[in-house]
Amino acid sequence: MSRRRAGGTWGALAAPGMAWLGAMFLVPLYAVACVAFGRIDPIFRDALPEWDPRAWRFDEAGAVLSSLADGPLRAVAVRTVAYVAIAMVLALALGFPIAYYLARHAGRWRLPLLALIVVPYWVNYLMRMMAWYNLLSPSGLGARALRLVGIERNWMDGSSVAVVLGLVYGYVPFIILPLYATLERLDWRLVEAARDLGAGPRQAFRLVTLPLARAGTAAACVLIALPMFGDYYTNDLLSRSPRTEMLGNQIDFYLNASTQPQRGAVLVLLLSVLLLVGLSSYLRSTDRTARERER
Amino acid sequence: MRRREFLRRAAYAGTGLAIAPSILAACGGDAGGASGDLQIGTPESPVTLRTVGEPIADGLAPESGTLELLNWADYVNPETLAAFESAFGVKVNVTIYDSEEAALVKLRNGTFAPDLVMGMTDTALARLVAAELLQPLNRSYVPNFANVIAGLRDPYYDRGAQYTVPYVIYGNGIAYRTDVIDRSRFTDGDGLGAMWDAAYRGRLAVIDSYRDTIGMALMRDGGEDVNTGDEDLLRAAGESLLALREATNPKVDIISYQELPGGNRDIAYVWGGDALAMPMYLPEGVDPGVIGFWWPETTATANDFFCIPRASTKPVLAHAFIDFLSDRDRALANATYVGYQPALEGITVDEYVAATGIPDSLTDALVTPERYASGLRFHSLDPAVDAVWNDVWAGFTAG
Repeated sequence: MSRRRAGGTWGALAAPGMAWLGAMFLVPLYAVACVAFGRIDPIFRDALPEWDPRAWRFDEAGAVLSSLADGPLRAVAVRTVAYVAIAMVLALALGFPIAYYLARHAGRWRLPLLALIVVPYWVNYLMRMMAWYNLLSPSGLGARALRLVGIERNWMDGSSVAVVLGLVYGYVPFIILPLYATLERLDWRLVEAARDLGAGPRQAFRLVTLPLARAGTAAACVLIALPMFGDYYTNDLLSRSPRTEMLGNQIDFYLNASTQPQRGAVLVLLLSVLLLVGLSSYLRSTDRTARERER
Repeated sequence: MRRREFLRRAAYAGTGLAIAPSILAACGGDAGGASGDLQIGTPESPVTLRTVGEPIADGLAPESGTLELLNWADYVNPETLAAFESAFGVKVNVTIYDSEEAALVKLRNGTFAPDLVMGMTDTALARLVAAELLQPLNRSYVPNFANVIAGLRDPYYDRGAQYTVPYVIYGNGIAYRTDVIDRSRFTDGDGLGAMWDAAYRGRLAVIDSYRDTIGMALMRDGGEDVNTGDEDLLRAAGESLLALREATNPKVDIISYQELPGGNRDIAYVWGGDALAMPMYLPEGVDPGVIGFWWPETTATANDFFCIPRASTKPVLAHAFIDFLSDRDRALANATYVGYQPALEGITVDEYVAATGIPDSLTDALVTPERYASGLRFHSLDPAVDAVWNDVWAGFTAG
């Protein structure tokens, strides 16, 4: 079979899946827009989607933008970005050395250690967070044990610390695995060459390993940042305080518990746009790097 | 596929993961508009709700199979359910909701068709009837209706009790740990002010219900209209809640009935029935007297009720369940788990205490008929007023 013919066959096989994925992205997105720019039931105050774009109304979108610019939602948006940024840096700081060790030095322990990292995550995310809540709440076993060694703190007092650490714990394996995949396939001969040419271990790491792992590291960061931006259950389970609300919590509130569902839908659209902008800049940069390497 | 391409595609997939839940949430479908106007009853202006459809005929046999029940969490005793299942040879399946708004959405969009709903209040009733979601009851199947508190047999929100049968009564107040807070904290003339006390920062909670918590702020400011449409008063209550938020960093949820006895909170604004349930969640060996309850002289009192959706496929069995739980002995047995006080006549404080074993420090949470009658009532709001209440709440929860 010629290469061109094989490509055509695979293209035909992929087409239904691509069409399905496309429809599953575009149709719900359109539905969200119809809710965001639609009406609400005058009595029930729940969403009445406006399917005809010519009749879309943008007053609620304006209210959300105004709140983001100079209202209650501004603090929520700033907090969300800060939480995600801090959690991502902490997850990277925790995950990179683990991935590096697994890829470079674990030897025959590599598979058992990988399994040990993955196994706890077979347990449902909510259950793991609830377990932490029960352990670290003031009457929990963990908090009592810490008190015995002189660490006295109410971990579940609705503070940012609990939410950020929860995010780190929840998402850290999703940064370790792609980092491991990147480092495991890295051409270590280049590092050895750097060492042969007189670079110290730190210099070789900084000038060779890190640049080679940059694309993989960026992808791993993107992979955990995207779901973190939409996360609401970590805050719901570990804090429940308005002072730690993230954008995901506001979306949940507006769509499920308020009489202003359009605002939730507007936030969904804004968050999607923000994430797509961030993602496309990453994709452009990796494309550029790939082209440079091919040259 | 090269590694970089794989990573790039994985990143695309990540975008989908991040936004998928929100998108799905927004795709709940068009529930359609309401069919009629809101009929809002108040104690001053009781309402006879318009009748939609006919009650079921007399003398029908209860259906077999599974009774689908929509209820709050921990709001019916599993032993009571088992007794009903055994008595009628059926199964009962409970689906929970965590706010009236969420229950209304479930009922309206048809994603779930329960046979019986428990725990709704008159803040939702007008909308349920306007959307023609309920069926009128046939009380020949509910002889125990005669046990209902006299003042609720013809309630202001549903004259003639056409659609509803009261389930429990309660009043809003403050539950607290007596080993941390002395009762005198509440008796200095500004008892509700304890909820604004920075001394309880990180260990204080309010109800995740915009009506109840904004109502608390209104009452603290001296208001006696917990259904006000006065925007200035509501904005002032909103400012007051922001002050509470800054001072105490409160939890906003409906699980204080577990968290306060568990030692994770010291003080919480609660539905009184939740306070009565707290001793059941104390660690073994802890004196129930560690839980205290206080409420202001004038507070909100309410009752929840049973109602049967129009789409119920087992209406006779649903009526039988209402009757089963309106029996005094079964209602008391149910209260040993739920905590909430049955809305039935003749259950004295002594009887209730004997049945449930609640400590003296909690007897204040029991609602006497006089207390119930003199309490403030939340009722359904005009949609425009409701929007202002929601706006104030959104400002508070946005942190």
